[in-house]
Amino acid sequence: MSFDIALILDSVPKLLAGIGLTLQLLLLSGLFGTLLGVLTCAARLSRLPILRWPGWLYITLFRGTPLLVQIFIIYYGLAQFEAIRDSFLWTFLREPYWCAILAFALNTGAYTGEIFRGGVQGVDKGLTEAAWALGLNRWHRLRYIVAPIALRLSLPAYGNDMISLLKGTALASTITLLDITGVARNIVAKTFAPYEIFISAAIVYLCMTWVIQRLVAWAEWRLNRPLRAS
Amino acid sequence: MELALEWARPFLGGALVVLQIFAVALVLTVVIGLLGASAKLSGSRALRWLAHAYTTVFRGTPEVLILLILYFGSAVSLTALVRLFRPEIQFVDIPPFWAGSLALGLIVGAYATETFRGAFQGVPKGQVEAARALGLSGWQVFFYVRLPQMWRLALPTFGNHMLSLMKDTALISIIGLEEIMYTAKIATSVTSKPFTMYAMVGVIYLLFTWLIALLVGRLERGATRHLMESR
Amino acid sequence: MNAETPAILLDKVSKRFGSFEALKQVSLTVARGERIVVCGPSGSGKSTMIRCVNRLERHDSGEIFVNGMALTGGKGDQAVVRDNVGMVFQQFNLFPHLTVLQNLMLAPRLVQKRSKAEARDVALRLLERVRIPEQAEKYPAQLSGGQQQRVAIARALCVNPKIMLFDEPTSALDPEMIKEVLDVMVALAREGMTMICVTHEMGFARSVADRVVFMDHGRIVEADAPEAFFGNPRHERTRLFLSQILSH
Repeated sequence: MSFDIALILDSVPKLLAGIGLTLQLLLLSGLFGTLLGVLTCAARLSRLPILRWPGWLYITLFRGTPLLVQIFIIYYGLAQFEAIRDSFLWTFLREPYWCAILAFALNTGAYTGEIFRGGVQGVDKGLTEAAWALGLNRWHRLRYIVAPIALRLSLPAYGNDMISLLKGTALASTITLLDITGVARNIVAKTFAPYEIFISAAIVYLCMTWVIQRLVAWAEWRLNRPLRAS
Repeated sequence: MELALEWARPFLGGALVVLQIFAVALVLTVVIGLLGASAKLSGSRALRWLAHAYTTVFRGTPEVLILLILYFGSAVSLTALVRLFRPEIQFVDIPPFWAGSLALGLIVGAYATETFRGAFQGVPKGQVEAARALGLSGWQVFFYVRLPQMWRLALPTFGNHMLSLMKDTALISIIGLEEIMYTAKIATSVTSKPFTMYAMVGVIYLLFTWLIALLVGRLERGATRHLMESR
Repeated sequence: MNAETPAILLDKVSKRFGSFEALKQVSLTVARGERIVVCGPSGSGKSTMIRCVNRLERHDSGEIFVNGMALTGGKGDQAVVRDNVGMVFQQFNLFPHLTVLQNLMLAPRLVQKRSKAEARDVALRLLERVRIPEQAEKYPAQLSGGQQQRVAIARALCVNPKIMLFDEPTSALDPEMIKEVLDVMVALAREGMTMICVTHEMGFARSVADRVVFMDHGRIVEADAPEAFFGNPRHERTRLFLSQILSH
């Protein structure tokens, strides 16, 4: 097995072209997914069963099935329904780009929903009691006491989930998208040099993972500052 | 839906392949996880560093990429090797089943390494010391004191690893394994009902993950039995 | 509401948790300016009782009146509690992500709608009162237990309650810090604050309480002025409890 350095040097710029798409998938899905997660968490913790049950169902479905299956159901599966093909949604849903974002966002929403729920339930009950005793209403308690603390508690698991999302974006290559992995597979198909190309791609992902980890570590450091005894 | 029933047998066949991969990969995961954990806890700096590199790479790289590297990489290497002796052979590969199982074992094994390491470190040192003081050999201490305790601590997180592993089996279709995703693909091309077919795949995975969660719950109760107050 | 209205009135209040009866038909009247110390073995219902007074627990039967206003179990209760009752917890329950000053200013700003400057003023004055004004910008984690509890007392006082409830305020403190908190509570009592204090600190009871209440198994067994309570307890159970708690 020879290591074709020239090939690597030639391919890296092409791989970097894929980063743009990977970042778009990561950021858009991350954003929508996190918002969805907040809504899901609220639904799960709501007093109304009519909100709790759909929340539970959504989380069970999206955490109990593989991401690849979810992508295929959305990309290939939705085309089965005439109602969807005829509607305005079709302009989005026939594009692999939006199908991927939808799948990733729904998947992330389920996982972050559970993470946030764990965070909220981890807030010391005594703190909400003290806030209640001081007269703070439900919204104030949520905004000033529960949310900040739940955020800090959720952060490690949330960071891990963002890394999982990054790795998940590689599956966009299975529905023709040219993200880092998609570009890599293309090049390998032409050059039959899987080691050089795929390992280069892996290095790119590892760098991105490292960046996310550093961001999370910084956020953790900031949020934990009040807790460090002097 | 009669269509679903019509295709039940091929899907069951695909589901069986999924279970087989899961079983093989699970064994690999546990073995690799234990090896990795001992490397991380060992006295050798080189071993610790190696294990650290392993977990960093295999937890930070997309699973699909690892699958592709392992499968195509090994195919290219193997083909080159074999052609040295038998140039007429065009292509040799490790069957996707084994390449895929190995890849999954390495991937989830990296997570298991961290989990097992944390669990081993969570076993109170006093217990190990007491066991030594009682005269148990190193192997006995490991087997009768450290392992059962570590298992109890690791179980919830390891249960999550098992769920991940089960879901990751779907990825092996990407390197051509004829399992349940492949069945769905064929069924779709015949029936033109992609939603129905892939939804069936989803339902089967849902069933598998539910069973695993049930199993883990059972095991957790068994492992913590001694900690529950007697009634 | 006139001068005769009791600060707190409990009338045959009962509360159960599942099958466990925490309070059994408890009746108690606390006059304005009165200082009550409640004691008793664990599980006797003393914490439950004061938690029912400020509605952290909902009582199952009986009536509770705070400054003449009934606690109905509905949404209006929080307003009644908020305007009248302040609570100090065993675990302090200071908000860990806020500074001491922010902890104190939160309720005045959000609930009483005071301006930032006003709230800050009130907060700093109260920090002076509990004798730790220099800790204003620190976070709770950076303070000792005694300091944290004093901040908690100041925080409760920031909204100007007429009645203060203390739920074992010194039980989570190291012994050397108990005095600084009790001193603050004694000063508060001297200023005429109506107080119900659940505690094991019998020295405090002797010097400050107008009445000492002994609870056991969800009932009030005995309630008397300190001299009578400690000098000549009427019930066997009271005697037993006192002998256990005063022996060391």
